[in-house]
Amino acid sequence: MKIRCIVNGKQTDLETAPDRRVVDLLREDLGLCGTKEACGSGECGACTILVDGESRLSCLMIAAQLEGKEIVTIEGFSKEHLHPIQEAFIVHGAVQCGFCTPGMVLAAADLLKRNPAPDRHEIRRAISGNLCRCTGYQKIVDAIESLARVEEESDE
Amino acid sequence: MSEVALPASLEEVYAIRKREPGAAVLAGGTDLLVRMRADGKKPPVLIGLERIPGLSGIAIQDGVVRIGPMVTHQNLLDSPVIRKHLAVMHEAAQVLGSPPVRHMGTIGGNICTASPAGDLLPALYVLDAEVEISSPAKKRVVPIATFITGPGRTILTGQEILTGIRIPVPDPGYQGFYRKVGQRRALAISIVSMAALLMVSPDKTVRSARFAWGSVGPVVMRFPDVESSFAGRTFGPALLADVGRQYSERIRPISDIRASASYRKMVAAGLPLKILEQ
Amino acid sequence: MKKLHDAHGATGIPDEKGEGHFHTKSDLPVPVGSDLFRADAYGKVTGRERYAADEYPAGLVYAGVVRSPHPHARILAIDTTGALACPGVIAVLTGGDIRGTNRTGLPEMDQPVLADTKVRFTGDPVVLVVAEDRELLRQAMAAVKVTYEPLPAVFDPDSALAKGAPVLHENRKEGNLLFSGVIAKGDADFAFSECAAVREGIFSLPRQEHAYLETETGVAKVDGDGVLEMIVSTQSPFRDSREIAAALGIPPEKVRVIAPYLGGAFGGKDGITVQGHLGLAALHSGGRPVKIWNSREESFVSSTKRHPGRVSLKLGCTKDGTLHALSCRLIFDTGAYAGLGGPVAVYGMGHAAGVYRVAHSRVEGMNVYTNNPPSGAFRGFGIPQVIAALEQVVDMLAESIGMDPLEFRLKNAIRVGDETGLGIRMSNSADIVTCLEKARDHPLWTGRDEWIRQAPDYKRRGVGIATGVLGIGYGPVIPDIASAKLELLTDGRFRIYAGVADMGQGNNSANIHIAGDVLCQSPDRFELVQPDTFRCLNSSSSAASRTTYSYGNALILAAGVLKERILDKVAQLHPLFRRENLILVPGAVRHTPDGSDIALHTIAEAMQEADRVATATWTAPVNRQQLAVAPDVKMYGFPHLAYTFTTHLTRVEIDEITGAVAVDAYLAWTDAGRIMNPHVYEQQIQGGVIQGMGYALWEDFRVTEGAVVTKNLSTYILPTSMDVPDILSVPVETYEESGPFGMKGVGEIGIVAALPCIANAVAGAIGFRVCDAPLTPERILTALRRAA
Repeated sequence: MKIRCIVNGKQTDLETAPDRRVVDLLREDLGLCGTKEACGSGECGACTILVDGESRLSCLMIAAQLEGKEIVTIEGFSKEHLHPIQEAFIVHGAVQCGFCTPGMVLAAADLLKRNPAPDRHEIRRAISGNLCRCTGYQKIVDAIESLARVEEESDE
Repeated sequence: MSEVALPASLEEVYAIRKREPGAAVLAGGTDLLVRMRADGKKPPVLIGLERIPGLSGIAIQDGVVRIGPMVTHQNLLDSPVIRKHLAVMHEAAQVLGSPPVRHMGTIGGNICTASPAGDLLPALYVLDAEVEISSPAKKRVVPIATFITGPGRTILTGQEILTGIRIPVPDPGYQGFYRKVGQRRALAISIVSMAALLMVSPDKTVRSARFAWGSVGPVVMRFPDVESSFAGRTFGPALLADVGRQYSERIRPISDIRASASYRKMVAAGLPLKILEQ
Repeated sequence: MKKLHDAHGATGIPDEKGEGHFHTKSDLPVPVGSDLFRADAYGKVTGRERYAADEYPAGLVYAGVVRSPHPHARILAIDTTGALACPGVIAVLTGGDIRGTNRTGLPEMDQPVLADTKVRFTGDPVVLVVAEDRELLRQAMAAVKVTYEPLPAVFDPDSALAKGAPVLHENRKEGNLLFSGVIAKGDADFAFSECAAVREGIFSLPRQEHAYLETETGVAKVDGDGVLEMIVSTQSPFRDSREIAAALGIPPEKVRVIAPYLGGAFGGKDGITVQGHLGLAALHSGGRPVKIWNSREESFVSSTKRHPGRVSLKLGCTKDGTLHALSCRLIFDTGAYAGLGGPVAVYGMGHAAGVYRVAHSRVEGMNVYTNNPPSGAFRGFGIPQVIAALEQVVDMLAESIGMDPLEFRLKNAIRVGDETGLGIRMSNSADIVTCLEKARDHPLWTGRDEWIRQAPDYKRRGVGIATGVLGIGYGPVIPDIASAKLELLTDGRFRIYAGVADMGQGNNSANIHIAGDVLCQSPDRFELVQPDTFRCLNSSSSAASRTTYSYGNALILAAGVLKERILDKVAQLHPLFRRENLILVPGAVRHTPDGSDIALHTIAEAMQEADRVATATWTAPVNRQQLAVAPDVKMYGFPHLAYTFTTHLTRVEIDEITGAVAVDAYLAWTDAGRIMNPHVYEQQIQGGVIQGMGYALWEDFRVTEGAVVTKNLSTYILPTSMDVPDILSVPVETYEESGPFGMKGVGEIGIVAALPCIANAVAGAIGFRVCDAPLTPERILTALRRAA
């Protein structure tokens, strides 16, 4: 079937099976391999993408659902420069093997949009659908928290 | 391959289901697509309900909150109506799955999946929720406890579809609590869950108490005779311990991969005491 | 023909916006010892880094493995006709199609690529199918018919060792006993009779699943020159290439393995996972590239796990609290194939005395074949199991003689020059004493009674400590060798050819730090080539806390060689410059008397290609003590020369209603030598501790009658961000002479003490010990009710 949607800011016409998993569509058809798969059943968050600005699991979405939607994957998350979240992940050492990182970054984006100044508990809650096996989460929380502080300061 | 339909009206849904009785209804996908992957089977048609305008929205009218079945768990969390009038639902939605699951999963899906571990279900039971069932022929309204008949089973037949949830707003004197025990604090499937509505006088006399329990039987369990026995007693740890004791004897949990039946009974025995935890 | 590796050259991804992926605005070198952002972070946060899972070359076909549904069975017949008739099928292969030895494994080559006569675990590979796409592959796999004759099976080491038990590997004269060995000092049996107090415990340790997020995966193809090329998620590309060649019957020089950044591994990709199947499929796919990417469920069924086992440990001390006698008996379940079972048992045995001086000891270890899924390497490598037992018994013994558990440890802890309980002379850096002293003086320890008293209703609180030790490198016999390769490019930048895979720990990024320090260059002047058996030099596996320790040493040598060549070249080009007045500065060589700089690219252009590439080999020094142990105990890694040390402290709160253990605070003081990069060091401690916390509290990979019960991430419980606290990691720096810049590997030490530390806190809170790990809420609550 034909699907028209916006992928990373670009109007995109897709020709695909309607029940194709979105994670496969992104990775195999569009070459957007930054979206990872690690469980296929919604238990790990590695395949997180933003759909109309909200975090969703691309392993539990099918192609037809994308019609008319705006999708952002990790590849389209930064524009001219690195997004501050990505920068914070680098600076705070939030990246080890990196397989959870794209999903974590987008989960953080969803959080900061809803709550620009989250505390550590709120941050931990917001990334609780994204498993990380390397970091123990602490530096990921550090990275996101660093941005919350920036928000607070700029408000003053 | 499954055909996928995203109809814009219920009439289209009926038409597709008439043509293709094996069609599966797709709400948020957090359960159906997991099951389809596990079973390796695909229905001939997937009917996504996400583009039907009438199936979303939360409204309050004449003391009844009406929730569309395609309302997501996140919608519930964001709703001032739910937070104010149905705090027990708000609490239940808070501990459901994970953020992306809450963004995708729906209340209608949670009800129709009819898992005894469904996180919203004890809240719906304790609130005496009713569900609207629609078909081309008629619309009927039944209590949630009538709707769900067993694990994964509901009374939906033929072309019927869940089109709404109606919840009478409890008397403002009620306080709602939801307590869930899982294997971890997020991404957890409940081992025991409990929704409670309590009305307690300033002198600590219990005027009314309702409890609904999840994951301790084939369906969410309430026992009206037990509930009525609490009225008139003094609220406090002694009462809550007794509540736990009584329910622990009445529930009929099974052992599964997450917990043994005996653990579930032990936890249930103490869970009402967690109402005292902030 | 376009080769797979064309897209896999240097993987340092430059930022086209000119930001520089290190975010260093200056051109200055970042000296070792200070924070350097990881070179791989940019590619990973932008989603551009290509893992093995991300390879989808043109013309791709898929391969899948039909696995045994039986834990032990003879194969009577395999009927592939139905599968071959399926649409889109390219090949259906059995063990009979393999021309080589059809065996992989290290040190025992006992695991078939595809079963030949029988299967030994539920999930053993039997038939390999190659098809046009995943759906057609699924259909064809379903059409394969295998007829089995089920055989009696054994599911625990005790039954496997019983007389008359079914034998897994008939050719082994020891039957199901893979390994047994002893390490002893003095006369432990008699020494116990001299003790004032003796305590003993028997501890059951669970299987732990690595659960790296990137499941086993790779792509392979045979190119026009007949070379089998493979891009695969592996910790051991060089060893893999040899094993693949032997198993499949192709010349080793015709096998090329490339290991991009791994999406986690933790030991689970130390050796063959999908490589044998990928190679075989590629030999039968008509030159088309083949992909395998295991589902999470298949990963759980097919991958190795941390050895489950039982550790019985007895410890005795004299009246004044001096440890006097130790006996330890460990028995591990290695599953259907040996994997690294022998070395894992020996590493466990070799750490059974922990950080302590003990006069007499006897440690017996066994590893046993069963019809369970294979066990193998996992961060800590047998040591977490043994430390779990030791550190709990230490607490029990301290209690028996009325000593503070921390003072008791401090009294018996080794200092440099001491002999350990197993007779190992601590010749190198070792500072467990400072770790313990810092814990002793910490407010969480000194104020613990007050905190425990303040437990809210329906909660119980406890504070625990534990110590840990972990030897780095391969031990005294297996040579730990690394060969570094470094090139000065004609544009004046440098390229490092990594010889050790980076599974996420950042060792290849550390290479830039090291070479940058030696060559006085900023990180932006480097690019990295990930391990490639055709381009890089064999530096062995990413394992044993030796990645930076060994390769880093080799790289220091190679960088030194290159530095001399560069300076020599300048001296040669400028006869008026005196060689001793030349130094490397960022981007150039400086003639110090007049401050004039000659740009590196100018020098590079003048150099011969061979001169621009420097290589160097480093062999790790070993412990040459002659300890009376059997040759295989020595070969498998006893004793080590350099060790890392740690003291952990935790506060836990137990929910009396649910039995759940909440870790309220966790601190780790660690001696891992000098710290090269503080935030990368912290990454390893935090990640290791949390993985150990998972081992202690949640992770229980369950197998019943050989079949996996916890089939996916919904039932195998990993901690989420909500379940774990922040870790305070405090380095206790020493200088390790054998390590690059004085460092010791820090990849594993974080995990070893977590379980006993938490268990000690839990025991303090509830007043008794739960000896079966993990300490799940159900186990704790059941024990509490029983005790009540």
